[in-house]
Amino acid sequence: MPTFAPAALARTSAALALAAALAGCGNDPNPAPLRRARADGRPWIVSYRALGDDPRSLDPQVSYDTLGHAVISLLYDTPLEYQPFRTDPYELQPCLLDAMPERTRDARGGDLYTLRLKRGLKFTDDPCFAATAGRGREIVAADLAYAFQRIADPAVECPVLSVLQEPLPGLGEAYAAAKKTGRFDYDRPIAGVEIVDRYTLRLRLAKPYPQILYWLAMPFTAPVPREAVEYYDGKPHGGSAREQFRFHPVGTGAFRLAEWRRGRLLRLERHPGYAATRFPTDGWSAAEEARFRPLAGKPLPLIDEIQFSIIRESIPRWLLFRQGWLDSSGVSKDVFGSVLDAARELTPAFRARGFHLHRDANPATFYLVFNMTDPILGKNRKLRQAIACAYDRDLANEIFFNGIFLNAEQIVPPGVFGHQADLKSPWLRHDLALARRLLAEAGWPEGRDPATGRPLELTLDTTVDDPESRQMAEFEKGQIEQLGIRVRVIENLWARQQDKVDGGHFQIVTGGWQADYPDPENFFMLFAGRNAPPRGSNHSRYANPEFDRLFDQMRVMDNTPERRRIVRRLSAILNEDCPVVLLTHPVAYALNQPWAPRVTSNPLVANAAKYVAVDTAMRDRLRREWNRAPTWPAWAAAGALVALVAGAFLWSARHDA
Amino acid sequence: MMRDYLFRRLLSAIPILIGVMLLTFLLFFVMQTPRAMALRILGPKVPPEAVANWLHHRGYDKPRFLNLRPGERVWDTQFVRHMTALARFDLGRSDATGEPVAAMFRRGMIPSLLITLPVFLVGLCLAVSVALLLVLARESALDFVGALLCVGMMSVPYMAWVIFGQWLMGVKLTWFPAFGFDLAGLGTTRFLVLPVALAVLAGLGADVRLYRAIFLEEIRQDYVRTARAKGASARRVLFVHVLKNGMISLATLVVASLPFLIMGSLVLESFFGIPGLGNLMMNAIRTSDFAVVRASVWLGSLLYLGGLLLTDLAYALVDPRVRFQ
Repeated sequence: MPTFAPAALARTSAALALAAALAGCGNDPNPAPLRRARADGRPWIVSYRALGDDPRSLDPQVSYDTLGHAVISLLYDTPLEYQPFRTDPYELQPCLLDAMPERTRDARGGDLYTLRLKRGLKFTDDPCFAATAGRGREIVAADLAYAFQRIADPAVECPVLSVLQEPLPGLGEAYAAAKKTGRFDYDRPIAGVEIVDRYTLRLRLAKPYPQILYWLAMPFTAPVPREAVEYYDGKPHGGSAREQFRFHPVGTGAFRLAEWRRGRLLRLERHPGYAATRFPTDGWSAAEEARFRPLAGKPLPLIDEIQFSIIRESIPRWLLFRQGWLDSSGVSKDVFGSVLDAARELTPAFRARGFHLHRDANPATFYLVFNMTDPILGKNRKLRQAIACAYDRDLANEIFFNGIFLNAEQIVPPGVFGHQADLKSPWLRHDLALARRLLAEAGWPEGRDPATGRPLELTLDTTVDDPESRQMAEFEKGQIEQLGIRVRVIENLWARQQDKVDGGHFQIVTGGWQADYPDPENFFMLFAGRNAPPRGSNHSRYANPEFDRLFDQMRVMDNTPERRRIVRRLSAILNEDCPVVLLTHPVAYALNQPWAPRVTSNPLVANAAKYVAVDTAMRDRLRREWNRAPTWPAWAAAGALVALVAGAFLWSARHDA
Repeated sequence: MMRDYLFRRLLSAIPILIGVMLLTFLLFFVMQTPRAMALRILGPKVPPEAVANWLHHRGYDKPRFLNLRPGERVWDTQFVRHMTALARFDLGRSDATGEPVAAMFRRGMIPSLLITLPVFLVGLCLAVSVALLLVLARESALDFVGALLCVGMMSVPYMAWVIFGQWLMGVKLTWFPAFGFDLAGLGTTRFLVLPVALAVLAGLGADVRLYRAIFLEEIRQDYVRTARAKGASARRVLFVHVLKNGMISLATLVVASLPFLIMGSLVLESFFGIPGLGNLMMNAIRTSDFAVVRASVWLGSLLYLGGLLLTDLAYALVDPRVRFQ
């Protein structure tokens, strides 16, 4: 029989209807939980979250991005971690360690840090532990030492080796030896890393480097089992290929990897028997006492499973959050206007839903960088001050950041030791008259060369990965051009801009720095003379012997009043010299569902999910309420389809003459 | 005859493939240097030594086209390395994750086919049926309304279909997930219905217009008049004679698109979060993963050349007037 149009139509609609019926309708995109109940009979609790992409690697010694750390920090515990409630200043606390590392001095002026592990902590179960028939074995000092060895192994490609090899003797040598022989000798200890006994490790630093404590709270120093690294080699064994270790984590954290469907879902499940940390017993504000006191000292994690949906676009992420299928969400620019009112509070519709709104200040600073080796800008401090003075940061904040970012008055962001809440930089107060005066004093009255009358021309390099960065560049150009200076905006792709910045081929460029750890050293090192590219991130190529001397003094000090005094002096020097125009400290809005309120707003706590509790009864009720499907459109659509098919059939029959 | 023809075609494919790969290579590294690519993948804070290591391990520190370094072979260059690996069908490992690209492709193929195959089949059947119906009703009010609707549907941008569909079916009516994908037997269907339906609808207008034109061309042929004179009904003439002959033109159009079903749909996959090959490619471009980009382009070019060849073969097979030369 040849194809008959109405019949084909009918068949297609029937097939579609059948498929729809098979689908069972409903818009829940999340897969079913791993289990219904825990071993003890209590209900299995799942937290639903979104990730912007697949992590590139789950190897703690390799990953160096926020996204990777968001997952790795749940899978691997570190020797230290950040106290979730104390953010001003940020504070470290022991995680795998029994107590904070003990610091002593040796005769040669070096620093010794003694790290004592908690006893009885175990890795998650995994087939790689052949000696214990797949049961996770105890974490010992040798595992901590192994992490340091991996940092030095060229095959691992650890990105922070060059930072750590400076204070930690032996790392660089081990790396060089492995490069020479083509193989890292894991049986040879690193000179600066000494295993004292089964549970104690000693780090022998060549010179004082107090920031080592912050590194002990980063995944790079997380212990990994040697068995796992050797077992998961990505090669075929007995006919089947084993995964690579970077995709098969075997950790010490509150969760273990249960499933990873690339591009779709990353599922973690609780690490049974996890004992390294418990819910804190203090640190929260008086207002939160009633909420957190009952949880104090409870075993972690409070939930059993985390489903990370991989969602690359912000709109679907918001859509799923609004429907209740995700427990938390950011507030992207696309939806800002519909979520927040003019007073930057939740609109009534979303308040009625019970959403919790958070404003998160990030320990980061954005700025415009002047090239200090540029013949015009580098030698003329008043010119830089004039440009800084002309810049209206409040207006920029209003136009581009919904007025929520904080104006930066110093390079050190709030919460970091040495930040001064009351500091006002003299050259950042947006005063056009002052700016013009400074410009005249700089030798460019009204932005012109008095000899030739020609206006000063500057270039501004910017990335154009999105329309907003183009608008922002236009704004920045406009701000400087108020002074009569001409600015040419050069639009670069991100990658090209990196090359230009590293090569010093720019006059003014946009920049910013996100804290690796909350220490002023991490920000002031951006201006240390020896850190000019390609060696470091001193993109302005600022070089000031007095600054360098104070910086070197400050970086090795403990957080004492004397250190605070030096930090203030460093801030003052930078504010006076203006190698950058300080713009903002970013602030982000985030939303939580009423059934999963946030526990910590500390941006340095990447594994906050282990503290979160979920009210599943409320979630089930509200999800039902928010996703009630009206049935009449289904009937109407079916009726219309039937009418259409029947009509077509009748019509064609009548014309079949 | 046919063997010679095939041989000639395959031979001519070689310079085309080399040209395509050369262009891809040039375009990719004109936009960014390998060092910038490494920074993008490793993160902007990674120190220069780590970047240099990364580049060295992947051969990105070799000269691009000609190696004039003393003591090294002239052809030991990035481009030659890439081409020889691809010629051996060694797709290599992803620059971003180190995962074998072949494994990534194998994983992405199923979700892509689950979307493109139904879209192709349902779309084809529906468009042919509607086109025939309109031909049957030619020059009537129904034909006019049909043409109007088709042009209307063609005028709506693809993105608008997708966004409106997600909003209506996923948000307002809550019948289907607005986003997501799960490879779970029959349960997968509920993630497929909406994207498939939207893709079919988005393509229907243009397809119906095209097929209608093809069938209208046929209906003016002599054999149609003969059949009608012999007493065959209008419906029979259309659905037997015209459809069969119209299939010749249709086949050439359809066969060319077959190989591309594997490559998935860029827009649908990224809007619905379907982890197929389209999504993989988009993401590789976004994250500067050259290994995946070059393998995708390689595969795409092979499929395209295969599609063209298939079209020619199909044309000759269904139409006895066409001969290989």
